[in-house]
Amino acid sequence: MLAKLDQVTKRYIKNEGVRDLTLCFPPGEVVGVLGLNGSGKSTMLKLIAGLLFPTDGRVVVFDGPPRRNRAKIVYLGETDALWPWMTPKDADRFMSGLYPDFDSGRFGELLDALEVPRRKTKTMSKGERGRLRLAMALSRDAKLYLLDEPLAGIDLISREKILSSIVREWHTDETILLSTHEVAEAEGLFERTIFLRDGRLALDAQTEDLRLQGKSVVETFKEVLA
Amino acid sequence: MKGFATLLWLEARRSWVWAAALIGSLAFWAWGIEQVRLMQVGERLGVRAILLIVASMTGALVLALMIGRFRSETRGGQYQVLLLTPPSGYVHVGARYTFAAATAIVYYIAIGFLFWWIAEKAGIHLDAASAAQVTLALPLYLMVITILPFLAWVLLWMVFISSYRISGSGWIPGTVMLLGSFFSLRFLVEGLIDIAYRLPSWRLFQNLQTAIDRAAWEAEIEGYGGFIAMPQEPFWVMLALIVVFLALAGRIWQEVEG
Amino acid sequence: MTDENGWSLEMDAGPIYVQIGERVREQLARGDLKPGEKLPSARDLASRLSVNPNTVVHAFERLEADGVIETKRGLGTFVREDAPVEAMRDESLRASALRYANDVRRLGVAQEEALRALKEVWDAGKA
Repeated sequence: MLAKLDQVTKRYIKNEGVRDLTLCFPPGEVVGVLGLNGSGKSTMLKLIAGLLFPTDGRVVVFDGPPRRNRAKIVYLGETDALWPWMTPKDADRFMSGLYPDFDSGRFGELLDALEVPRRKTKTMSKGERGRLRLAMALSRDAKLYLLDEPLAGIDLISREKILSSIVREWHTDETILLSTHEVAEAEGLFERTIFLRDGRLALDAQTEDLRLQGKSVVETFKEVLA
Repeated sequence: MKGFATLLWLEARRSWVWAAALIGSLAFWAWGIEQVRLMQVGERLGVRAILLIVASMTGALVLALMIGRFRSETRGGQYQVLLLTPPSGYVHVGARYTFAAATAIVYYIAIGFLFWWIAEKAGIHLDAASAAQVTLALPLYLMVITILPFLAWVLLWMVFISSYRISGSGWIPGTVMLLGSFFSLRFLVEGLIDIAYRLPSWRLFQNLQTAIDRAAWEAEIEGYGGFIAMPQEPFWVMLALIVVFLALAGRIWQEVEG
Repeated sequence: MTDENGWSLEMDAGPIYVQIGERVREQLARGDLKPGEKLPSARDLASRLSVNPNTVVHAFERLEADGVIETKRGLGTFVREDAPVEAMRDESLRASALRYANDVRRLGVAQEEALRALKEVWDAGKA
């Protein structure tokens, strides 16, 4: 088991992020994490990444607390957290210096494949920055990838490139948790789909099984969460 | 350590404008010192010394602002990115502090040189040993006692405030820490005065009496017969305090939510 | 999710691995794929269609079990020389015919009228 949530609750002052969440993630799965805004998707991914600590319950990643194993986790947050003066070359320097598993060669290839311009990020469009951040994430060689809304606010062409790159770069022993609102575009990637509602698990299913019933994930989404 | 070097590079990239502006401002102060020649001869040394003291204080303010810049990074999400990098909180804090401390050292040694310069202009010709003391030893001593612990404290303070970001306003505990530190400062100073001069003191400006005799200016502070004696104890205590502040800041960094 | 030639998928039309299998058969039936021809690798196809590579592998496994394709170690996945293209053509023909028949039956049309309409459209298309 790569990652495990054991009756995890995260309470904030005014509301609860996630409630009583119990989930297991074995290696080799591409999992979609779906839900309405405020359903706890981001909170769940941050808990697994070790950015947040649970109020109740335990989060175990690689047999230990997530923060301790942060070198083996790739977390791509939804905030566009790049320094504005950074160029892709700076990003390469940053990642190579801090992550032993970062592959500069692959980074260069991904930058080309995703057509990321070699300029400061403050001069880039949102789509270009999103693609740069994805290239940074996918050039690491980890076993657990947590991608929080990697397609948010990004143009159609960039979204297609991003999804395509994720498919190409994924290895069969790696687990990817991907949260998104772009359900229709991304559902093809998910072997397993998790639906969150108000911080609780609403449905956890194998995606092809859902389709066996003649429904797309989009339709299941509306049924389960509307 | 590769991580430390990279974080130091990152710190230099994000803060170089501040550092450059600070070092560049020395040209302004040097120009100001030159302009003082338009005043009467007797007043010049005093005014120039005051200018340099002001330069020291504004430098401290700028350095504190430089090292304490956290808010834009916590809002922008870069803090999140840094929290998840493999190096420990101690390395992160260490890199930030090293850049600020290095900038401070360059700045204050330069001011030391300016002090030497204004002394020369006043006719106080220091021999090589005394010149080295005024430009290197004395600034370093004063830095360890004042600005370097201050910067470490500012860093600790900002990390402390940032650790409350998620659960509410960090400014309340931050203010508590500020007031607490302010009141502790008095006890610290009293304590340092108490223990000072038990160990042998460091002598500066052995030949100062000879040098200043010519300018007819009395400069005895402590000690006897022609030199200034600086107490060791404050130096070591403040050095230890720097380490304590940085260690605390590093520890808090490890436990912070992003 | 559409791709260039004949790999279109509908997310609400049943499991993707089944649809991929159907697309292969259709392409064979139409002659867009020929016996002995090399198929794209599972990962390449998955990347083009933005679907999970395991899904493509599942589809390929089914096609292999049905004797349509075969994997040659180190070389890739190929359509079998002896792939039952004729049978697939027939199957495809029957499926289209069935769709036509169901459509027009709903209009309450008799077989003769249905055939006449078909012939007219067919002849018009030739010119």
